[in-house]
Amino acid sequence: MRYGIDDSPVFVIDQSRCIGCEACVQACMECGTHRGQSLIHLERIDQATTTQTAPMVCMHCEDPTCAQVCPADAIKQTEDGIVQSALKPRCIGCSNCVLACPFGVPKYIADFDQMMKCDMCTDRTSEGYAPMCASVCPSEALWYGTIEKFNETRSGSLLRDFMFGRQEVRTKVYTVVDELGAGALDVFAPTRSHWLDDPFGLEQEALDG
Amino acid sequence: MAKLPLTEQQLIEAYGPHLNEAPPGGWDAGLEIDRVVNTHCCFCGQQCGIKLKVRDNAVVGFEPWYEFPFNEGKLCPKGVKRYLQGSHPDRLLHPMERDPAAPGGFRQVSWDHALDRVVGEIRRIQQTYGDDAFAMLSGVSLTNEKSYLVGKFARLGLHTANLDYNGRYCMVSAGAGSKKALGVDRSPNPWSDIPLADVVWIAGSNVAETFPITTSYIWRARDRGAKLIVQDPRVVPLARTADLFLGVRPGTDSALFGAVLHTLIRRDWLDHEFVDAHTLDFDDAVAAVADMTPRWAADITGVPAARIEQAAEWWGSSATGMLLHARGIEQHTKGVDNVLAAINLGLATGKFGKPGCGVSTITGQGNGQGGREHGHKCDQLPGNRDISNPEHRAHVASVWGCDESEIPGKGIPAQEIIEAIHAGKIKGLLSICFNPLVSSPDSNFTAAALDRLEFYSVIEFFLSETAQHADVVLPGSLHEEDEGTATSGEGRIIKINAAVEPPGEAHLDWQILLDIAERLGKGKYFPYKNTQEIFEELRLASAGGTADYLGATWDRIENEMGLFWPIPEIGHPGTPRLFEGGRFFHPDGKARFHGVPFKESAEVVDDEYPVWLTTGRVVSQYLSGTQTRRIAGLVAQYPEPLCEMHPQLAERIGVTDGDIVTVTSRRGDITLPARVVNTIRPDTVFIPYHWPGAKAANQLTNRAVDPISKMPEFKVAAVRIARSPGHVETTDRRDLELHEGPS
Amino acid sequence: MSLDRRGVIWGLVGVAVTLALTFLGSDRLVWFDAALLGYLFGLIFAVFGVVYRYAVWIRRPPTAMLNRRGWDAFRQRKARNVAALPSLVATQLLTQGFIRRRSRTRWFAHQLVFWGCILAALVTFPLTLGLLHFESVGQQADRYQVFISRVGTLRFDAASTFGWLIFHALDIAAVLVLAGVFIFLRRRLRDPGAMAVERSGDFLALAGLFAVSVTGLFLTVSSKWLEGRFYSALNTIHALTVILGLMYLPFGKLFHIFQRPGNLGVVYYKRANDEGPPAVCRRCGLAFASAQQVADLKEVLPQVGFDYGMDGGGNYQDTCPRCRRVQLTLAQSARVGGFG
Ligand code: SF4
Ligand code: SF4
Ligand code: SF4
Repeated sequence: MRYGIDDSPVFVIDQSRCIGCEACVQACMECGTHRGQSLIHLERIDQATTTQTAPMVCMHCEDPTCAQVCPADAIKQTEDGIVQSALKPRCIGCSNCVLACPFGVPKYIADFDQMMKCDMCTDRTSEGYAPMCASVCPSEALWYGTIEKFNETRSGSLLRDFMFGRQEVRTKVYTVVDELGAGALDVFAPTRSHWLDDPFGLEQEALDG
Repeated sequence: MAKLPLTEQQLIEAYGPHLNEAPPGGWDAGLEIDRVVNTHCCFCGQQCGIKLKVRDNAVVGFEPWYEFPFNEGKLCPKGVKRYLQGSHPDRLLHPMERDPAAPGGFRQVSWDHALDRVVGEIRRIQQTYGDDAFAMLSGVSLTNEKSYLVGKFARLGLHTANLDYNGRYCMVSAGAGSKKALGVDRSPNPWSDIPLADVVWIAGSNVAETFPITTSYIWRARDRGAKLIVQDPRVVPLARTADLFLGVRPGTDSALFGAVLHTLIRRDWLDHEFVDAHTLDFDDAVAAVADMTPRWAADITGVPAARIEQAAEWWGSSATGMLLHARGIEQHTKGVDNVLAAINLGLATGKFGKPGCGVSTITGQGNGQGGREHGHKCDQLPGNRDISNPEHRAHVASVWGCDESEIPGKGIPAQEIIEAIHAGKIKGLLSICFNPLVSSPDSNFTAAALDRLEFYSVIEFFLSETAQHADVVLPGSLHEEDEGTATSGEGRIIKINAAVEPPGEAHLDWQILLDIAERLGKGKYFPYKNTQEIFEELRLASAGGTADYLGATWDRIENEMGLFWPIPEIGHPGTPRLFEGGRFFHPDGKARFHGVPFKESAEVVDDEYPVWLTTGRVVSQYLSGTQTRRIAGLVAQYPEPLCEMHPQLAERIGVTDGDIVTVTSRRGDITLPARVVNTIRPDTVFIPYHWPGAKAANQLTNRAVDPISKMPEFKVAAVRIARSPGHVETTDRRDLELHEGPS
Repeated sequence: MSLDRRGVIWGLVGVAVTLALTFLGSDRLVWFDAALLGYLFGLIFAVFGVVYRYAVWIRRPPTAMLNRRGWDAFRQRKARNVAALPSLVATQLLTQGFIRRRSRTRWFAHQLVFWGCILAALVTFPLTLGLLHFESVGQQADRYQVFISRVGTLRFDAASTFGWLIFHALDIAAVLVLAGVFIFLRRRLRDPGAMAVERSGDFLALAGLFAVSVTGLFLTVSSKWLEGRFYSALNTIHALTVILGLMYLPFGKLFHIFQRPGNLGVVYYKRANDEGPPAVCRRCGLAFASAQQVADLKEVLPQVGFDYGMDGGGNYQDTCPRCRRVQLTLAQSARVGGFG
């Protein structure tokens, strides 16, 4: 579907749902602003112990660290808050943004001696279409639509505040949490355990348990 | 002849697989296009809608098709990269004849020469050895029209009983089970029922990798609070988020289902009204599970009894629920039993014919549903009719304008065709869209069989590993080069549109069949001028059968974005959900319970072969890989098979991740890297099967088949594993770039 | 917006230097061509603007840091670095292989515009400043000598190929630039992706280059084929486009010409860093960058308003990019049902 200006669609990333299929990685290459180059990240969290994978797109920070540390002033934010890929003529390939971005987003492309990053498919979103990755994602770990639609169809709450040590960062892209009560998402908060610690009941459960 | 004209390596150099990396003209070519064609992905039974971008008779890209209701623009990586199978350097462009002296092992010939040779050989073989000594193998990458045509072509054109198809390795156990219990072979539900289920139970299906789009339907249910149960020997990606994981030992699904039914009965989590009003033979089912306690099943399946009881409780006490199963429970010598046992659970709790209720297979192959309805199964005529049933034969004969006696009787299924070739009973073969050298069990046996053919011809767009053995290669058409219909796993008939014309001298598949029929003197049965005329005939031939397409027209299919069969009359809205009001498809309207005792698999582990082997797929590859092993992005994702094993097993044989191991069964061996993960049962190893030759998992698998469905037992074999010299980095290429640092 | 004081001072210094150069170079204005006064004005404005902006830019914390570190790195192994300079200039600044690897067409267009502009600048600026002029020699009307300031150099025949090239240098430059501009435009119009990320300034830059080149060519057309008709009007228009173009230089896309050499500093910085110790990720323990650059960033970040310090010690910036993504996922998953 094509969104109008008034729909104000949002990008939502719910890493926990990702099934690691790489549709996003493949589709990112088809994005008109950087054809042939996939800029989304997909992590295998720890291949030996879990099938969990995680996509990472640019979160489009309100005050982007990447732009602030760029010595060449090459990273620009549009009026609607999209933090663009480095301007080609300006980027001098120093990788400051790659290292400083709290979400680990920009990629340094050695061949081009340039940083490139996710620009939320500017060619598509500016025309009212969903970005490539969020269009294809089979699990809807990557999702694009109106907040109303999200609330209607999905569980969880939208959150866009993150804590990295003492630094709080607010982004344009949302993530999903069960409860907003706990505040910003603290990236170094302890993780919870789950049946996956012993999927086959080898230790905890006796067969007749 | 049917022996390789050159070595495998030489053939690969000439005909691939080579990798197509970028669209025609390269990534930098700009994106001007002539038009956009609404069609579907060809790489699984979900048949996602997709728009193909076309420039200068080449597919140059895709665009999500947001309006198509099934997937709303979503695609898995195969769908995304699907467009790169066109404009491919390996595309077959000319008819060819086997010639070991020619560079590449084949010489280019004219169509006339190729067709005359094919027809001459058919005649010679049939005159010398009898009509049935010439067989045909087909595949469900074909549209409904082509599937129908192949059925008619084999019976009336070739006049052979021996036609079967590659769905024999995919959906036949589900089909046979459904027919026995419910009277029809179709998913009872449109996928829009999944979000309405309070329990979603996935049995033997790696949904995330093989039916990726279904993941979003499951999440819709979970967003409403549904419980997710996953039954699999591996913690597949979807299982990671499940509420309950049943890590079954391969080959024990019916024990697990039995114990669940046992528990439902014991706790009286039954829908007595439904059972009384709409089913027969409940007592048989009850008797069979009398001793199948969860404790008993725990020993067999390796799933803790408490988890089995939990599954029974959720399934039994929820108002709605869907159990979706796939090859994991179906590719067994007791595949039909497993399916029947699963259906028992649905019947016992009244979970049929209502919103959010159903026990359904997830159809695997592209047109796996439609392709198995219209007559290219060995025992079947269009409309899912029975070739041995006189009434059915008479109806089809009347549509075909032939005498009923001209239609041959029941033939033998795919695996038996290969055995008959091996035994020298079948001498000639024509195949289309089937690559048994990769997909059949015991590939060494299959290779030996092919060598014994006197004549083999293929209709293909790429020279698949099986096609390399051909005497005559007829260049056919790709999915995007022809129009027609397909039927998705939901039972939704959809329209496939042509985006481009066949390149070079390649012809449309149906025209090739017509040309052969003409030369065989059977042209009068095949008067079609276009694909739509074939569909018009299919509608009439299917009318009155269970898979009734009578009311489906191309216009309606396209305008309504698909129609669910049965559509028994013009103007009929179609039937998204089957069995409403508890009316099943048996003549008396009742469903059948079946008593399903537990049986072991055809091969069980022992001292010599102490480890279970199970095979399956990865998300980036489709079936035998003829298409997907030629697309660079997909190959990069998972370039070669790995042997997945648990750290406990790895430690026992002294290997760590990336070490090379040799896995040996009674039939063959394969040497490949180990991938050590604790997401698989410690007694089981998993190898995906998409690769040929020395990388073929099917070198190990067992040719034993299900007595009813004739499905081979791909999911269970006994193997032994030993360390071999060598080590490779199995780390993903992406993980590597991560620590290269930014400079 | 208030002006940056130090920027203004540096800008004025730049202007003074330009004027001094003109005065001295033209032998106390003897050779200064008054007809080029407008150009001189534009040039002076451009010099002020460019120097001002550069001075402001170079003092931004990350730029200042890189500037300092780049020079440090250069001095550290001076001999080797000086030796490496010519080839670096050639590959990074002149032949621009990094653009070619991304897109051949774009590279080709960029090369055309780049060399066209260089050629034009080499002719126009010295002429404007009076640093360069031609005198006819002896009695022959078509024999000329090139003068740099008051030093006579080459003599040449106007009718010779060399003479033709000299007198048509600006036309050649215009043709190169125009060809490049057309390729750029065609690419943009054919490629919706490029259009989408287009900033208005990009088109302005192309339009400016186009205007300067076309009006310049018209001058030649007028004098060659129209017996000088419209010449003075055309001349005024051309002068105007050039002056406007010069005045635009500090603000728009073309400022990258002055930033780009910073890339050489980056190369030296990275080379020096690679020889130093690596930064090791606090989570996975693997090396992920140079310790120097991470330390520099930790110094710069507070200057631009960020505090990535961790309560209980350490700095978030010591986490490798991959672990940042992993950690975020684990934290997020823990807040939705705890899968993982
Ligand atoms: S997520 Fe990273 S790359 Fe994106 S805007 Fe924020 S700092 Fe920049
Ligand atoms: S497409 Fe979605 S599910 Fe697949 S890898 Fe990307 S984020 Fe994960
Ligand atoms: S392979 Fe299946 S899930 Fe993937 S895009 Fe094609 S139809 Fe959809």
